[in-house]
Amino acid sequence: MPAQNAFEVTQKQLDECAEILKLDAGIHEMLRTPMREIHMQLPVRMDDGSIRVYQGYRVQYNHAKGPTKGGVRFHPDKGIETIRAQAALMTWKCALLDLPLGGAGGGVLCNPKEMTRGELERLSRAYVDKLGEVIGPHKDIPAPDVYTDPQIMAWMMDEYCKINQSSEFGVITGKPIAIGGSLGRTDANARGGMSAIREAAKICNLDLSNATVAVQGYGNAGYFAASLAANLFGCKVIAVCDTQGAILNRNGLDAEDVRRHKATEGSVAGFEDGETISSDELLELDVDILIPAALENVITEANADKIRAKIIAELSNGPTTPEADEILYNKGVHLIPDFLCNAGGVTVSYFEMVQNAYMYYWDREDVHERLDKKISTSYQAVLNTSTRFKINMREAAYVVSVLRVVEAMKSRGWV
Amino acid sequence: MSMESREIRSGISALDQALQRIRLGDNVVWQIDDLEDYKFFARPFAAQAIQDGFECVYLRFAEHSPILEATEGLDIIEVDPSPGFDYFSGEVHRIIAQKGLKCFYVFDNLSALVEEWATDELLANFFQVTCPFLFELDTVAYFGLTLGKHADSSVARIQDTTQLLINVYKVKGQRYFHPIKVWERYSSQMFLPHCISDDDMPPVSKSGDAAKVSVLARKNPLGGSPDLLAPWASVYRKLLQYEDEDEEVIRANPEIVSLKEELSHMILGYQPDFSRLASKYFRLRDLLFMRNRIIGSGRIGGKAAGMLLARRILKHDNDPTDFTQVLENHDSFYIGSDVFFTFLINNNLFRLRLELTQGSDITHSEFEDLEERFLEGTFPREIMDQFQRMLEYFGQAPIIVRSSSLLEDSFGNAFAGKYRSEFCINQGDPEQRMHAFLQAVKLVYASALNPDATSYRQKRGLADRDEQMALLVQRVSGMRYKNYFFPSMAGVAFSRNLYVWTDRIDPNKGIIRLVFGLGTRAVDRIGGDYPRMIAVSHPDLRPEVGAKVMKYSQREIDLLDLEKNQLCTRHVSEIIEDRDYPHLHMFVSLFENGYLSDPTSSFLDGNPDDYILTFNNLIRKTNMVDLIGKMVAKLEKAYQHPIDTEFTASFDESGNVRINLLQCRPLGVPGTEGHPFDIPKEIPHEDVLFRSNRIVCGGLVPKIHTIVYIDPVVFAALPMDQKKSLGRIVGKINAHPRFEDCKTIMMGPGRWGTSNIELGVNASYRDINNTSVLVEIAREEAGHMPDVSYGTHFFQDLVEAQIIYLPVYPDDAKTEFNEKFFMESPNILKDILPDDGVPDNLIRIIDIESASGGRLLQVVADPQSQKAVCYLE
Repeated sequence: MPAQNAFEVTQKQLDECAEILKLDAGIHEMLRTPMREIHMQLPVRMDDGSIRVYQGYRVQYNHAKGPTKGGVRFHPDKGIETIRAQAALMTWKCALLDLPLGGAGGGVLCNPKEMTRGELERLSRAYVDKLGEVIGPHKDIPAPDVYTDPQIMAWMMDEYCKINQSSEFGVITGKPIAIGGSLGRTDANARGGMSAIREAAKICNLDLSNATVAVQGYGNAGYFAASLAANLFGCKVIAVCDTQGAILNRNGLDAEDVRRHKATEGSVAGFEDGETISSDELLELDVDILIPAALENVITEANADKIRAKIIAELSNGPTTPEADEILYNKGVHLIPDFLCNAGGVTVSYFEMVQNAYMYYWDREDVHERLDKKISTSYQAVLNTSTRFKINMREAAYVVSVLRVVEAMKSRGWV
Repeated sequence: MSMESREIRSGISALDQALQRIRLGDNVVWQIDDLEDYKFFARPFAAQAIQDGFECVYLRFAEHSPILEATEGLDIIEVDPSPGFDYFSGEVHRIIAQKGLKCFYVFDNLSALVEEWATDELLANFFQVTCPFLFELDTVAYFGLTLGKHADSSVARIQDTTQLLINVYKVKGQRYFHPIKVWERYSSQMFLPHCISDDDMPPVSKSGDAAKVSVLARKNPLGGSPDLLAPWASVYRKLLQYEDEDEEVIRANPEIVSLKEELSHMILGYQPDFSRLASKYFRLRDLLFMRNRIIGSGRIGGKAAGMLLARRILKHDNDPTDFTQVLENHDSFYIGSDVFFTFLINNNLFRLRLELTQGSDITHSEFEDLEERFLEGTFPREIMDQFQRMLEYFGQAPIIVRSSSLLEDSFGNAFAGKYRSEFCINQGDPEQRMHAFLQAVKLVYASALNPDATSYRQKRGLADRDEQMALLVQRVSGMRYKNYFFPSMAGVAFSRNLYVWTDRIDPNKGIIRLVFGLGTRAVDRIGGDYPRMIAVSHPDLRPEVGAKVMKYSQREIDLLDLEKNQLCTRHVSEIIEDRDYPHLHMFVSLFENGYLSDPTSSFLDGNPDDYILTFNNLIRKTNMVDLIGKMVAKLEKAYQHPIDTEFTASFDESGNVRINLLQCRPLGVPGTEGHPFDIPKEIPHEDVLFRSNRIVCGGLVPKIHTIVYIDPVVFAALPMDQKKSLGRIVGKINAHPRFEDCKTIMMGPGRWGTSNIELGVNASYRDINNTSVLVEIAREEAGHMPDVSYGTHFFQDLVEAQIIYLPVYPDDAKTEFNEKFFMESPNILKDILPDDGVPDNLIRIIDIESASGGRLLQVVADPQSQKAVCYLE
């Protein structure tokens, strides 16, 4: 059987949710496909004077709850199916957080590794030129994604402002701080995950100040997760890993020391204050909280049964396979699904729009406080749904999202 | 053995009587005015030896008429001195060792060697190293030496070494011999001149007669003859008068041109390709300038010669880029290659070196002991005096002592990183500075014997080639900042770009590996820390995006700590924390809030911990890359060959980039010359073992018999100590006779040759030198990055040895990778290493023939299309 593409996977997840909800067939059909897709040819003058034409996309999946929002990726291999999937997931994520936003996604088929800075700028501006009329603070708000960064967002925003002869900074989020970016964005995903963990700990009767944590992955998200777990709650982070290996210290690792070691040595492996274990062993450690923060599909049918953590907080996208989900649920492991656990980023993006519209900028603490409130509320909604329908947390998160979108569609008279 | 039985007959009984008989073990040096005088003694000696039943060898190496005619019982062996001292000494040693005990020798006139080798120093060295060996073997050897034509110091060394030294001369037609030294023999008249007649050789004992004979025989009895044979002094003296002459006038005068060529050969050597360039570009005044900065005598070696030639080429023509305005001046000194041998011989290290370079193996720990012996060695007084003057010249400026051996950096033999370079921070009182300098010189000398270097020489068939270690003493480029000394920028630049990660990059436009601080980080392969790779055709491109730029950048800096008086490594953030390093905004970008931004002024904001060395502003806002690109292109054009260079760079007071060219050498790039290597179009899928789409060096390797496959998964799970020892295990496999005879592919996880065992197999060149293809199994999501090893010493070794290096990306959709073949074919590891306890799931050695039903493998790599395939033939 050929492998499913990313969009087919999201459709399947929706189908399962629709089955739980016994969703009206017409509504289900409406939710299965994007409401609008734009395919663009983007000519760019290269540094050597030649013209190269790039294929660009923007998918506005569903705008029932408000203007659509989603990332723009510059990647040579991620085609329309991936972008559709991205747009669908953004729809459910925004709804789960109860943000007044729909979901979108976009991208350009290009390889930024083969482009100069000037060429990237011209491509970014071309993308906005072509989208001109269909994006805007009240229509669709792009944001950074794979291989796009605040600089690219700044170029895009500037282009939009030029076209519209206005300073509508809120058209793009993920901008540099100097031109309307929000504070608190860098660690937003990990910080949002912490709020969810705190709520989950209450349910699991876990004293976080005595809790042990293992973090799988030590990139941006993994490092902030380890650091915040220790600093916010007093957790003991006893194991971390990256692609080169894993380290364990049952007395606790200092997140900052490990980060410094990784910065100089290229890996957490070899950290002198920890013993070497395998990455597989890390997943199976007897810890209170396991935080997958790197790759997809690391918890599978093969190892789910050996997981001993009480709480799994999915900071990365798709770390658990559907088969493993079932095993963990039956074992009583409390799983915080990815699109709740790592929704801090999109929430702060939303805050950025709000601040841009408001023309008044919050300090970091304000952002943290509001983020905490959003995630905690959403967690409660998912938990209640899980309990009520006796479904696992991931299914519950879908149910909450879909119901909110459906309600908006119904209110607007679409269904 | 009694003394009597050790005595032999010279063939002239009066001589035997005068000298109280020559004995086994004696070396006899005849200082002569005329070759006939030497023949007079040598012929009866040889005839007597043959008659007495001794083996007799005539070692023939000079152009002069034969000392001995061919006769029954005489073994005439010719040895060519023209390849150089090292080769000649080695050959003579081999002959002596082969002939063994109690063999009798007649050597040609040793003075002929000076014409070949240019210096009396080498002549004395040869004698000093050969005589003791002859003595040990109870041989008797006659040597001729022209009287009064050699430096007194060299004759003194010969006199110290030999057992008998006898002057022979004619006064008014009468031949005399005059023993100067007769070891452990004495009589009241032995050391008087002896008059030679047909049946008697009486001493000239009357004072009046003796005075008459002696005064006519020796015009300079106290030494200091102005009429020396050695061209080293004589050619130099003759040319000195033309020093200020216009170069056009010099080139028009055949006699001066010929002398100039001779001087060039004495200083730079005879390598034809190099000599052609030297002759074209070096002016007489350049050669004389070099000659005046040589300590001791002899050549300056390949590295120094390459550096000087490249500088000369760059300044040669008036082209749009005026390199005289770009290049920093240099004021290097050279320790002549003769000094190396003098050091070896004076400190009893010569024969050990000879054994090691000609096949004996040495372990790394044995080498450490050897280094200790070198460190205990001493230099002659006159060399020490010159060292002293040089150190006074440099004062407290840091210097670097770099190997510059005769073979090093020549066409086809880069010897990249085989020999050491040692920094002298040059702080402390004069005694301390001298001590540190001597240590540095001795360590570099010792590195001539390091296992990697000897293996490299043997593998490349250079074991018998003349290889002397000259040294280059350079002022370290840079400036003081805080308590440190380092250059703003340093790097290596290639005229060909072997690191083409996108087809937009023009491989013919060169590449630069650039670092902040000392260039040691640019030339060595340091795991986890990365120089900036700059493609000259597209300087702005880099193969990383976003946060990965931070990961693949330089985080540590090598510098000289003036307070601690040592070379050290520091975090870059620690060095630049005050944010006032000159022109820092040209080197760093700020990674903050998830993205990278380049400073727009020299006023730097942000936390120094967030500064990343990208050199973005340098690349975009200065002409640095353009200059280096033009520099390597001009050098390649002149060399008519791809080249690589080492350089430092800085900003002058006006903010212009200045370059200091430290090294230049030819680089052979497999697959860039000769026929294209076309990838066969229709290979059945099942016959393909792997494909690679990002290759750099090309070639065709047919009939591969063996694969050594290191399983990446098992490797990843290995404990540290086992990972560390893997390079040595690979080395053992590599040394197995099977791999010397059959072509092999070695495949392993991550980078080969890295010092960081987390990134790959820590093999040295010696551990893999028998393979034909080296494959890096690269998984990007496993933390591996398209390798930036290109340009390092390890990579250059591979390039020169024509070992094809291929990264294979099994996870790339366009890549074929037949993992099943590697995992399921029979493993013959236990046949190769039966007792080493290496897990056979870690290393799989596959005999292709038996695994594939009689077929062999072929690898084709085409650098033009950047594609390679490995398939069953």
